[in-house]
Amino acid sequence: MITAERKPIDEIRAMIAPYKRVLVLGCGSCVAECAAGGEKETGMLASTLRMATKMEGKEVIIQEKTLDRQCVKDFVILLDDVIDQYDAVLSLGCGAGVQAVAEMFSEIPVLPALNTEFLGETRDQGVWVENCLGCGDCMLHFFGGVCPLARCSKQLLNGPCGGSREGKCEISPEVPCAWQAIIDRLDRFGSLDRLEQIYPPKDWSRKQGGGPRKIMREDQQR
Amino acid sequence: MESRISPDTKQQIGKQARVVQSRKRTLALFYCQNTPESGEAQRQALEKRYASRLKLFPIPCSGRLDPLHLLKALEEFADAAYVIACPEGACRYFEGNLRATKRVGMTAQTIAQIGLEKERVGIVANSKENPKPLTKLAEEILDRTSELRPSPVLERPKRGKGIKEKKDDHSRKKTH
Amino acid sequence: MKELSRLKRVLDQGGFAVTAECGPPKGADAETILKKAELLRNTVDAVNVTDNQTAIVRMSSLAACALLKSAGLDPVLQVVVRDRNRIALQSDILGASALGIRNILCLSGDHQSFGNQPQAVGVFDLDSIQFVQVVRTMRDKGTILGGETLTKAPDLFIGAAANPFGDPFSFRVIRLAKKVAAGAEFIQTQCIYNLDRFEKWMAMARDKGLTEKAYILGGVTPLKSAGMARYMKKKVAGMDVPDEVVKRMESVPAKKQADEGITMCVETIQRLKEIPGVMGVHIMAIEWEEKVGEIAERAGLLPRPA
Repeated sequence: MITAERKPIDEIRAMIAPYKRVLVLGCGSCVAECAAGGEKETGMLASTLRMATKMEGKEVIIQEKTLDRQCVKDFVILLDDVIDQYDAVLSLGCGAGVQAVAEMFSEIPVLPALNTEFLGETRDQGVWVENCLGCGDCMLHFFGGVCPLARCSKQLLNGPCGGSREGKCEISPEVPCAWQAIIDRLDRFGSLDRLEQIYPPKDWSRKQGGGPRKIMREDQQR
Repeated sequence: MESRISPDTKQQIGKQARVVQSRKRTLALFYCQNTPESGEAQRQALEKRYASRLKLFPIPCSGRLDPLHLLKALEEFADAAYVIACPEGACRYFEGNLRATKRVGMTAQTIAQIGLEKERVGIVANSKENPKPLTKLAEEILDRTSELRPSPVLERPKRGKGIKEKKDDHSRKKTH
Repeated sequence: MKELSRLKRVLDQGGFAVTAECGPPKGADAETILKKAELLRNTVDAVNVTDNQTAIVRMSSLAACALLKSAGLDPVLQVVVRDRNRIALQSDILGASALGIRNILCLSGDHQSFGNQPQAVGVFDLDSIQFVQVVRTMRDKGTILGGETLTKAPDLFIGAAANPFGDPFSFRVIRLAKKVAAGAEFIQTQCIYNLDRFEKWMAMARDKGLTEKAYILGGVTPLKSAGMARYMKKKVAGMDVPDEVVKRMESVPAKKQADEGITMCVETIQRLKEIPGVMGVHIMAIEWEEKVGEIAERAGLLPRPA
């Protein structure tokens, strides 16, 4: 899923400062899963901001609402009835959600309360790790299900580099060496010899070649 | 020595003093229902005794506490919001009190970021050797939070002469 | 006039080659690199110029190599894949060859977070092994990635780095084999303090026939102090500094530690000369280039062949 973390409160306060009627908009999908922008977090942020503005002596209307998904037009459109009550939307969606709302309601400023981070998994309760770059040309079947692009700090397809130490990356003992993981995994499958071949340069055009990407599926369209 | 202050002024000062005293601070207290002597009868007796100073919210386990409960309380009526949990290792649902501790910590950090004192929220774990009844714990926490100034969230900023009396807001927060 | 790689010539003739490392300045001053070069003239066969080592901005390796070339030395252009995409890398290869540079060392590069530009994007478009393959193909087939033909192929002696001490140990020789298969003709290793482990690695390399295909030069770095020994042991990834080495440095009074470090370096080189398959030594006396001459002298490496 997409992970994100809430921006510091001061930054958010500065963002909403010019506005008098703010809709704090949560999302029930990815950001709820990583406890950044779901209904709970939205309620907490709205309450905190109301207290802050009260203490400043400001009269600001701050109300909250959570959509199932902010990145899907069919959900965003549900705001149509209420959007006129506000002069700004503080979105707790990921970057995709913020932009989808902004796209739908282009007359009203839509502000990001979160810093969107990465595509990843919930490794453990309260722990999320990056594992996919969205390269558009998945090679996981070559590497035992461990992505050397997303999980190796140098994106090596023919790793490891000389800095791998005790299964950790040279940049920090907190970061696992992806190539150690790949080697261990393939060793377990008995296919370590697969790593003797030289993997050719990555085709990055599947990620960047055409600018911002788009998928069109006629069979899905009206 | 005989006071030189005029009787009128004396009366005014006295009135203001009473107004200060009557601006009661309210403590919102969420307590685990496993706390000794914390049944309906005790809760009602406590609320009767302390009137608007204390609002009690029973919860089936301190682990059911959401930071939002504390925030909403502070936003709407409370100068302080505290949690009473069972002793470490004695939680009926094993980890509830540990979760609650983390959540209270997180809430304290959040309110600090907007300029509220961290001490406006807190969690008190009952003693393992000598568990206290609800009344005792409630009184200890009331005492502990009595030093806090009235919450600036609930006050209107002062405009100068005299101290305005705050409208008491008795909105009751329902918990599940 | 055809420029030649002096390093290649020495190795092809079966000699024990000597190379040293030279870091460019953190500025636009050409004189600094030229001064360092003078310290190394006639003590080494070729001089490696590092490429923004540790991700710290320095004068470009390519420019510094061009300066060394104009001073009559044989530079080894070190290129990391951290900072340049395939367009820039291939372009720089052509430029290097045009400037008369005849040796290249293809590296991954230290991660950008280590240096003074931690906010930079790390490019890593190619990895070091793919890069070796690209250079080899440019030289031998005269084509770039994608197959387009060059007007003139670059002429370069191609090298790669190897770390006998990184983890996982079992995989290290497979990685070396890949580099050789990709086209590396010479290998310079990470600096050696643990000779036993290095000998094991060399044995595995020989078993795999790699010493027949590429010249391996063992890396050495003289220790300046016991503190440096401890630092390298604990803080530098991919380094193996045995306790005995640290203890030996510590057993000597502070004023004498630098001398002890040089002595140990000389002893290491002498041992390297005995290991079959080791065809030379790469002396990395970082910011201590003036000692290279003394080390080479004491290790019996001088004079260098003309």
